[in-house]
Amino acid sequence: MRVLVVEDDPDVGQDLATELGKAGFVVDLVTVGDEAWFRGDTEDYAAVVLDLGLPRLDGLSVLRRWRSAGRTFPVLVLTARGNWTEKVEGIDAGADDYMAKPFAMGEVIARLRGLLRRAAGRVSAAITVGRLTLDTARMEACVDGQSIRLSQLEFRFLQLLCHQPGHLATPHQIAENLYGSADAGDSNAIEALVSRLRRKVGPDIVETRKGVGYALVTQA
Amino acid sequence: MKARSFHRRLVIGAAFAILLALGVAGTGLVWLFQRHIEQREALSLEAKAKELLPGLHFDVGGRPVADGRPSDGRFWRPAGGLYWQASAPAGAIYSRSLWDQTLGDAGPSTGESWALRRADGPFGHRLVIISRLIQPDRSHRSIVVQFATDDDALVVSLSEFRLETALALCLLWVVLVLAATVQVRLGLQPFRRLSLELDHLRRSPFARLSSDYPREIAPLVEAINALADARATDLDRARRRAADLAHSLKTPLAALSAQSRRARAEGAPLAADAIDRTIAVAQAALEAELARARTAAARVAEVPDRAGVLSTVDDVVSVVERTDAGSALVFDIVADERIEAPVGRSDLSEILGAIIENAARYARRSIAIHASDDGQCVVITIGDDGPGIAAGRVDDAVVRGGRLDEAGPGHGFGLSIAKDLATATGGAISFRASALGGLEVALTWPKVGA
Repeated sequence: MRVLVVEDDPDVGQDLATELGKAGFVVDLVTVGDEAWFRGDTEDYAAVVLDLGLPRLDGLSVLRRWRSAGRTFPVLVLTARGNWTEKVEGIDAGADDYMAKPFAMGEVIARLRGLLRRAAGRVSAAITVGRLTLDTARMEACVDGQSIRLSQLEFRFLQLLCHQPGHLATPHQIAENLYGSADAGDSNAIEALVSRLRRKVGPDIVETRKGVGYALVTQA
Repeated sequence: MKARSFHRRLVIGAAFAILLALGVAGTGLVWLFQRHIEQREALSLEAKAKELLPGLHFDVGGRPVADGRPSDGRFWRPAGGLYWQASAPAGAIYSRSLWDQTLGDAGPSTGESWALRRADGPFGHRLVIISRLIQPDRSHRSIVVQFATDDDALVVSLSEFRLETALALCLLWVVLVLAATVQVRLGLQPFRRLSLELDHLRRSPFARLSSDYPREIAPLVEAINALADARATDLDRARRRAADLAHSLKTPLAALSAQSRRARAEGAPLAADAIDRTIAVAQAALEAELARARTAAARVAEVPDRAGVLSTVDDVVSVVERTDAGSALVFDIVADERIEAPVGRSDLSEILGAIIENAARYARRSIAIHASDDGQCVVITIGDDGPGIAAGRVDDAVVRGGRLDEAGPGHGFGLSIAKDLATATGGAISFRASALGGLEVALTWPKVGA
């Protein structure tokens, strides 16, 4: 699996390249921002490990350029400035996970594998039901032209409903789809999930049929 | 020493100035009134004199003689209040009212037109007297004619006028002082607003004074705003330096970590262990310093800007749900979007981020985040359905560097940072069992002014 590592510190970059290589990844190491942007834009990578403090073009700008060009590979951000305002900014720019420096190499590898696992199986397709378009590659919803980033569970929930437009998904089905099992405590969790989802995509995309289940509103 | 008040000084000054002006005005009015009624009396006496003057002439001895006398009965009654006298060097004639008294000498300034004066008269009265010279024939001999009236009525009128004027002026004084008080109050209104804004500015480095002050105090306001800008810049610079410090030291630490791995790979495990221990110590010191800098910055802000709880929670959750631990969790967020915490947004993000990230590490399936505002306090609770903390280990969770699980990621600073920041921003943090079965962290901030 080919991974792009973007890190300006030679020791850290080389260490990442070596350890990821040992973990079975094929690593391309880049040390400056503009070259990173060019490589990510023109070549296919399974994932990117991106430092934010880069010479010539900063990491956030590189990430924004990739996302606006439609590059969907998962990006693990490495940052020395681990405050939450910057983390939010990173996620808003299109990062999939973040790690603060200095990091444990084992955790970098574990998180990278986690990102790849979550990205695997996403077929690049867009499903449209009513006003909602679900981009299965980018794990994004689009309502009235507005892109909305979804969490893993929200994405899985909408994906389930999109595959049976107009039909009900029961709490049992949903719990199985989200967790692989259905236990008694799931209905509250599903309600909370739908509640947060409605705040993201709007109140009239997902319809609740009390005591029965949920469905997507099919009329545009 | 009691601080002097502009308001009090201006009102007292205005009261004195108005009193002085009204005193001068009152004196002037009384003088004008007195002059007016004396002249009216003089005109009345002149009219009466016209009955006497045509019949005045000299007898052979050079004494004045009057063919006709004024008809007013008061000239005929002794001490009747109206008097006349015609005097020549050889003798004089008098009204009957003078009885055995005279009006005295008319003085050297008497001429051929009526002159008015006041003088002591007979029977213990003060008189208003008009006098003039007349020459009844062509002999160039003159008679001094004087007509007088006692001033009793005039004195009564004058004292009534004085009293009424004094009362009216007192009333006017009260009204004008009240008006001056209102004027001073209105005039000082911008200073009162300035005082309130300065109080806000003192408590928040991001607050600024408004720009719509009157031009007299606008330079002062601009100077204060410039100082506030300088203070905010210094604060911002301090925060940036802390962040720069993190950046400049954390990357070398990561590089050192790489060296350690290389040493281990090259068969020097003892050296690698020593490097790892050094990295751990340096990292702990760095995290502690950064947390201290953040807390100090939050404390300087005292009561910083307010942050919307729901939007900040949403931002933090959007990050946590991207992580491996957070991606499988449902976040049950119940908060009115109008609820605001009296904390800067970046500080609230740090506090919530540390707690929610910690909850995500232990939660099984869901995290419940609720916010409420009862008018007195803003309360945010974060509960999870994880294993929770045994009662005896709660304190360990908030000790800097303390960790409840010895395995897994993290440096053990999260809850300790959250506690320090919550305390520095005037809030409190507490722990209890969550209804979901795990740990619930409650953050409470008293509302400013509640």
